[in-house]
Amino acid sequence: MSNSNLFLKSGFVRAPLQNGVGRYVCQLQRIVLKFCKSHGGSRGMRDFIEQDLVDFARDNPSVVVYLKPRRHRSPVVVAEYLNGDRVWMSMQNKTHSEITKWIENMRTQQGDLSALRLRKYQYTDHPSIQGPWTPFTFKNPELNVATLPDPKFGANNRLPMSATEQLRMMFEKQSIGSKEDTEEKKAE
Amino acid sequence: MGMHKPIYHPMNDCGDVVVCINSRDIALRGDEWKKRAYFHHTGYPGGATWTLAWEVHNKDPTMIIKKAVYRSMKGNLQRRHTMERLLIYPDEEVPEDVLQNVTNQIRQLRLVPTRLDHIPEDEVRKFPKVMDYPKDYVYK
Repeated sequence: MSNSNLFLKSGFVRAPLQNGVGRYVCQLQRIVLKFCKSHGGSRGMRDFIEQDLVDFARDNPSVVVYLKPRRHRSPVVVAEYLNGDRVWMSMQNKTHSEITKWIENMRTQQGDLSALRLRKYQYTDHPSIQGPWTPFTFKNPELNVATLPDPKFGANNRLPMSATEQLRMMFEKQSIGSKEDTEEKKAE
Repeated sequence: MGMHKPIYHPMNDCGDVVVCINSRDIALRGDEWKKRAYFHHTGYPGGATWTLAWEVHNKDPTMIIKKAVYRSMKGNLQRRHTMERLLIYPDEEVPEDVLQNVTNQIRQLRLVPTRLDHIPEDEVRKFPKVMDYPKDYVYK
């Protein structure tokens, strides 16, 4: 996480599935189009207002649309959402079709998705079935009662064994086994 | 850091505290005790000093381990805070409050070599030898 993301709103990845299961609720509540009536930078915005705005307002009766002409200022769209997010977007020098697409994007998105820092790239409602991991999972239970440091747990047991060593081990095992055999015979 | 843990996350503070004991008994390879020098500069002109490893070790038996760990880490702002999690003791005497929180032990990387003074005197005397040194022999 870099420093530029420190004050970014954070959240988890989510699938917008629940909206539309019963009925669809448009998350966009209010949209304000600010533009200039004379400047060329607002040309696309003026085209959009002339040609598409009435249809947009008619198709989305739940969205409040404001027009705010301001003299000699660059065009801006501000969208406000059901969850309180407010998206500000400059439309300076954008063409009619670009503005149509951006406004469609604002209408369909759920809150301010672009300014959200993802805390994790995965999310689940059920993090673990068998219980979350702790430092003591899969540990030898003997450690619970051992007094550390203990050479039993601290000694090296990963060195490769030489052939001589293996032979010696085999011989010792054999001799111990033979001893036990003889003892058993004696007991009998 | 705790990067080996399944619960690791950059914003999750899950690093372990490590207690290192017997730092007085560390070994250096070859003639490193005589040749290795630790550099320090006071910041004043002529303030540079080079201390040999055996001098550093006599002064503070924990210093060589500490510096080795410190150098092996990335030189970022977190390094000094991570170093706070390493506790080094020159011998086996560890404070009680530290020891009662120890839950695991890291296995040694190598076998501990047996020194002549670790072997009981009887066994040394019984060990077969070719000859005895003459009484007027001077050890080098």
